[in-house]
Amino acid sequence: MSGSPAVRVSIESSCERQVQEVSLDGVETYVPPLSMSQNLAKLAQRIDFGQGSDSDEEDLNGESRESEWSKQNPDEEGPVKFQPCLWPWDSVRNNLRSALTEMCVLHDVLSIVKEKKYMALDPVSQDPTVAKAPQVFQLISKKKSLATAAQVLLKGAEKLSKSVAESQEQRRQRDFNAELLHLRSQWKLRKVGDKILGDLSYRSAGSLFTHHGTFEVIKNTDIDLDKKIPDDYCPLNVQIPSDLEGSAYIKVSIQKQAPDIGDLGTVNLFRRQPKARPGAQAWHSKLEAAQNVLLCKEIFAQLSREAVQIKSHIPHIVVKNQIISQPFPGLQLSISLCHSSVEKKNQRTSPDKTKPDDHLYVLEHNLHQLIREFHKQTLSSSVMPHPASVPFGPKRLRLAGPMAYDKAEISSLQPSDGLLEKIIKQAKHIFLRSRTARTIDCLASRIEDPQIQAHWSNINDVYESSVKVLITSQGYEQICKSIQLQLNIGVEQIRVVHRDGRVITLSHQEQELQDFLLSQMSQHQVHAVQQLAKVMGWHVLSFSNHVGLGAIESIGNASAITVASPNGEYAISVRNGPESGCKVLVQFPRCQAKDLPKSDVLQDGKWSHLRGPYKEVHWSRMEGRNFVYKMELLMAALTPCP
Amino acid sequence: MRCSVCQVPVAEGKSVQQTVDQLHKKLEQLGGVKQGSFFVDCETYHTTGNASGQPSKLLYVMHNSETPLSCLALYEGGPYLTADANFDVLMVKLKSHFQNAKGHKVESRGARYRYCDFLVKLGTVTMSSSARGISVEVEYCACVVPGDCWNLMKEFMQSFLGSNAPEIPSVFTSKPEGLFAPADCMDTMSQYLELFSKVRKQQVLPGSSVR
Repeated sequence: MSGSPAVRVSIESSCERQVQEVSLDGVETYVPPLSMSQNLAKLAQRIDFGQGSDSDEEDLNGESRESEWSKQNPDEEGPVKFQPCLWPWDSVRNNLRSALTEMCVLHDVLSIVKEKKYMALDPVSQDPTVAKAPQVFQLISKKKSLATAAQVLLKGAEKLSKSVAESQEQRRQRDFNAELLHLRSQWKLRKVGDKILGDLSYRSAGSLFTHHGTFEVIKNTDIDLDKKIPDDYCPLNVQIPSDLEGSAYIKVSIQKQAPDIGDLGTVNLFRRQPKARPGAQAWHSKLEAAQNVLLCKEIFAQLSREAVQIKSHIPHIVVKNQIISQPFPGLQLSISLCHSSVEKKNQRTSPDKTKPDDHLYVLEHNLHQLIREFHKQTLSSSVMPHPASVPFGPKRLRLAGPMAYDKAEISSLQPSDGLLEKIIKQAKHIFLRSRTARTIDCLASRIEDPQIQAHWSNINDVYESSVKVLITSQGYEQICKSIQLQLNIGVEQIRVVHRDGRVITLSHQEQELQDFLLSQMSQHQVHAVQQLAKVMGWHVLSFSNHVGLGAIESIGNASAITVASPNGEYAISVRNGPESGCKVLVQFPRCQAKDLPKSDVLQDGKWSHLRGPYKEVHWSRMEGRNFVYKMELLMAALTPCP
Repeated sequence: MRCSVCQVPVAEGKSVQQTVDQLHKKLEQLGGVKQGSFFVDCETYHTTGNASGQPSKLLYVMHNSETPLSCLALYEGGPYLTADANFDVLMVKLKSHFQNAKGHKVESRGARYRYCDFLVKLGTVTMSSSARGISVEVEYCACVVPGDCWNLMKEFMQSFLGSNAPEIPSVFTSKPEGLFAPADCMDTMSQYLELFSKVRKQQVLPGSSVR
């Protein structure tokens, strides 16, 4: 081989895998190689189970087979290789063959026994003594096994019950937490140690009352969830301070002065408990009631402090839970704190219901509003932010310096009245207003002619109300409307503004108002005659609101008017006084008077047409529904038809 | 509400106190009701640290009992300032720029009378505790425009001051005509300032009249 040029020999490993297909773009797809199990199956198929190590007949065949195998692959490196292949399978094959043999034998025996012709099954008789010992052992072994099984089951049951209990506990806890969240959304809570405390005072709203107002939240989760849960069950309970239990309200009332002061301080009236709102939790109503009690206590404390400190000419009396003051002579204003704890509710029947309920609810409400305003003032946002160089105070007061406010303006900025003074003023006004209304109504029902009408204004103040009083005659409202009074009812006085511009101030005495109205009514009659005369064509000869002649009236003054008929023949004179009533006189022409002495001085007949003597009219016998109607009829009668 | 005037009647042959008492009597006869007392005072401050030889401007800080929470600062004829009561503290802090001329403090104290819509304040002007003159302030509470009610006020003043009633102060005449120019507490104060300056200049005379 030397001398010749080296030949390039390319060696390429034979493709291990067969090409399954070649696609159009030249990609070859190989047959996937056999997996391990496929390979094993293929090798196992080569095992010849017919060849056994203990079967002589097939030995020769096996040998020949072996030689055949070896002959078939001479160039293979090893028939030796085949031998190790057979070795692992050999035992498997032998075991399987022996198992198959056994199974066949068993099958044959069973089929023969079934026929019962050639073979029969016969139980082996057992020695009873020998049999006992195995029974006891059996029992013991059964017991043991049962015990083990039971233990396993018990363990499982225990685990289950524990998990159920835990889930129940969690559910209760979840309910408690949900309820606590609900509570926290409405009330202030904080955690101190392991207790949950809350705050039901008004301190965060600006109150300066020194009560702590702390309540405690208690879990209420020791109920049995298996039994039926009661309807009002709540997993959470609150414990309020003992002095805030029950419910309270402030009673403000005005009474005639009590002749004896022996039973002061014993006011303790109860009111029906307001029904709890459906859907509101028990703790909610409890906390609200406790907060109300606290507010009432604060109001009463502030009022009693002011009652003691503030000097007034009639001192206020503070006795136990009542404050008594005198707004007007003969009148008594009592403000009392009525606090009823829950237990006593059942004891008292209701003896106090027989007393008329003179509780002024408006003033109680106003007291609550005033104390809340006071809270707002201490917490007012107009105080902050403020310049660093200026002391605390309302913003307008800060401007007083730079804007050069004078003393009047400054005093109007500063709050002057305390709670007690304000409420006394309001009570005085309410009393005065109700008494005025009563007076007017009394007069209106008592006197029919003229009629008195009162139009109360809807818009009024806590310290001022107003009413318009009209005095009219029925049927002649358009004509006789000269008496119109505007009454401004203040705290202690009533100011009357007349239509003609006069302003009169009346005191709180109801007699003054009554007298005044009566005098106005009598003036009205005379005014009515004046208006009527205008309508009827009569001439007014004289008119006086306050005549200086005749009997003296004790209330006001009498008024008088004289009107003459259109043709001058007749004249009517009216004098009306609040007490003396009305007197009507008619003046006739001389020719109609019969008892006039004839005189020689009058030569001419025309003088007899002048008006002469007066004659009084029996006014009570006159026809007509009211004074003005009668007067109209009289005037009509005295005007002869043309 | 603020329409006032002040002026100084000079007493002849009598001491300041006697004149004041006379005026009190006259007012009471007229029907005035005494309603307490009043005071007006004025302190002078020099500006320091002036570079050139210009005379330093004088700042006057005044207080009035009618506006108890305010402090008024005026330059003569110049800008005016109405401030809080803390202005005094501020002046103390500005000691380096404004020096207080302590001997020049002028005060007017006296009684306050009310007669219907008129407020009359009769005061003794004192400077370093010696009485220098009399100040009379008349306020007509119903009107705010000085031009409208000057005649009424003059008539009222003539009724108890006689011939000493003054003419309309320059403060009011300098206000623009026709425009609504309400009187201010500052007008009152500037009138007092004029009065006090007059009194300060008059240092010698009252001393001689007392003796």
